[in-house]
Amino acid sequence: MKLALPRLGNIEVINNTILTDMGHELVEAPPNSKRTMDLGVKYSPEYCCLPLKIALGNMIEAIDLGAEGLIMAGGWGPCRFGYYAQVQRDVLLDLGYNFRMLIFELPRKEGIRTLWKNINILRNGKSWLYMVKQLRFAWQQILLTEELENKVLQVRPREKKKGAASRILLKSIREIKQAKDINTLEQIRKETMEKFAEATNPHMQNLIRVALVGEFYVSLEPFVNHHLEEKLGYLGVEVVRKNSIEAWIAPIMKLHIFKESFKEEKDIEQAAYQYLAHSVGGEGQTSVGNVVLAHQEGLDGAIQVVPFTCMPEIVAETILKKVSEDLDFPTLTLTYDEQTGEEGLNTRIEAFIDLLKMRRKRVNVS
Amino acid sequence: MQKKKIGIPYALYFYEYYPLWKEFLTRLGAEVILSQPTNKKILDLGIRSALSEVCLPVKIFYGHVLSLSEQVDYILIPRMVCIERGAFFCPKMIGLPDMVRSSLQNLPTQLTPIIDVRQSYGTWKNSLMEVGKLITDNSSEISRAFSDSWKIFQQNYLANILEPNLLFKSSIQNNIPKKPRKDIEIPVNIAVLGHNYLTNDSYVNMDLINKLKKMNVNVLTPEIVHPAIIKKQLKKLYKPIFWSLSRKVVGAAFYYFEKKVDGIIHLTSFECGEDSMVGELIHHQSQKYPDVSYTEFVFDEHSGEAGINTRIEAFLDMIRRKKRYEIGLTPSW
Repeated sequence: MKLALPRLGNIEVINNTILTDMGHELVEAPPNSKRTMDLGVKYSPEYCCLPLKIALGNMIEAIDLGAEGLIMAGGWGPCRFGYYAQVQRDVLLDLGYNFRMLIFELPRKEGIRTLWKNINILRNGKSWLYMVKQLRFAWQQILLTEELENKVLQVRPREKKKGAASRILLKSIREIKQAKDINTLEQIRKETMEKFAEATNPHMQNLIRVALVGEFYVSLEPFVNHHLEEKLGYLGVEVVRKNSIEAWIAPIMKLHIFKESFKEEKDIEQAAYQYLAHSVGGEGQTSVGNVVLAHQEGLDGAIQVVPFTCMPEIVAETILKKVSEDLDFPTLTLTYDEQTGEEGLNTRIEAFIDLLKMRRKRVNVS
Repeated sequence: MQKKKIGIPYALYFYEYYPLWKEFLTRLGAEVILSQPTNKKILDLGIRSALSEVCLPVKIFYGHVLSLSEQVDYILIPRMVCIERGAFFCPKMIGLPDMVRSSLQNLPTQLTPIIDVRQSYGTWKNSLMEVGKLITDNSSEISRAFSDSWKIFQQNYLANILEPNLLFKSSIQNNIPKKPRKDIEIPVNIAVLGHNYLTNDSYVNMDLINKLKKMNVNVLTPEIVHPAIIKKQLKKLYKPIFWSLSRKVVGAAFYYFEKKVDGIIHLTSFECGEDSMVGELIHHQSQKYPDVSYTEFVFDEHSGEAGINTRIEAFLDMIRRKKRYEIGLTPSW
């Protein structure tokens, strides 16, 4: 079956492992672009959140390229994400497309049969052992990709030549995508780290450090957040990314080997407890907790990214105003919608970073 | 001893649960003060104190809380998480006590029992008992007050529901006059759907229900549909909806579509996350029933009344013209 996966940051690295190698024909959704956004916005319900619209755009573009099956994740609320796939299917059916939606989520009641069917479609007659092996390898690819992405956040503000870090990362991502075994990944890690070290100017110390919190998709997808991480990097700011695919998937799988990330999750909840005592779905509580933790870790400030009308993040935004006041910790909330004007965003980021720099100076003087 | 004054903001989930709380608290000997129905002042208070991105119903809730703050010792803001398996309340209602606490200052003590029936501490009984302990130490009295008020609440809830057959025999088989002189004499059945804090708040929805009634419309709401019917209708979905409040709206919508009422108006509030998804489901379903006219009204803090009036009139005109044609009368224009 010709299968496609919506885009999310660099998640495309696993396309080969879980689709091509399993004997499926891969249809790569084109990279997110103005066209993706326009298609998504045109056909989505008006007040839906941005990730739904972009993913819908991906799906339309993928079907136009011949995809027969669309892979999508699901969930059970209270965040809207759990219902994305259903609404997207309805919209695509109304548009007259012919396709199959393969939804992967923790099953409930009758859902277990659907999930079983979907897994078997994905398995495509290969052995279970092979499938598990591929999934494990895909997981390793994601881990390495995220490790490198996090590393690049430290390298970028310190790079000797502007743009070098991003170029190295791009090349490595391509290599990870083609990799077939763990040893190759290890090799890529080593080489990339060396290149990063080479590109770094070791004399750049004491940079401004900012935590990036907020909604998962917007914080991980550079097209949607208008390359926020790069912008901050070029302003000489080290970004500490608080969301990751790892931390998203691991608790869902509840597997023993991921115990570590569980512990982190507990810490975040603990930190948020005083301000937001109950999980509100999505990343609401996590955002609050991460800002408190960022303060404890001695970062200079936090930036929260929110897709317009996101329910959990609006709760978090309301509460973060209070957190920021109480802790005297600067927090900037950036709301993203389908408008693509960048200048307003640039001005706000620059002003925020100037403010952080001034605070540093004031502390140093006194 | 002076009676403890407990304030209940008349907004959001209290449209549904106010009778339960009031009965329970009064039985224990507390004085329950309900905020005024939404008005301009309350709305303005809410808008001024909430972030602009917060949805309209929560802003209104803020306004109600503020309007009470001077008069009461306690304000009741339950954290509604889950009242049935597999469904939640909207994230904003789960985080509501925390949102109120971080945006509003100088409030009286807030009572924030958690309603989460999956947990032993969160069942209706245990949460209400915990609030009851503040008023009296006598736990058997609290327990009795709970079971009595719960019974009354359930009875009242069921009393509102009409027998499905009754509902449609009397109202849907409409007695159209043989020769209506004016269009307005043709009675129509319109289902007004939406969360009950929108359909029942006549300030926010610009008195929509009464306006419709004045125009000779038989108004049907989700509240009068039996829960069993709603449950059955929801089986039409690929995936169960995981928001308790929206379940009712969608189930009722599907039911009214099936019964071929003349028109359905879906009321939503700007920035409401649930409605944006649910609206799409209902819209999708509406295409399967071309006989039923469907429209959606979005309310925000400044919807002008004239706009709503025009839309109601246009919607009704359309339906009545269709009906005239169906019963073989010449058009009136």
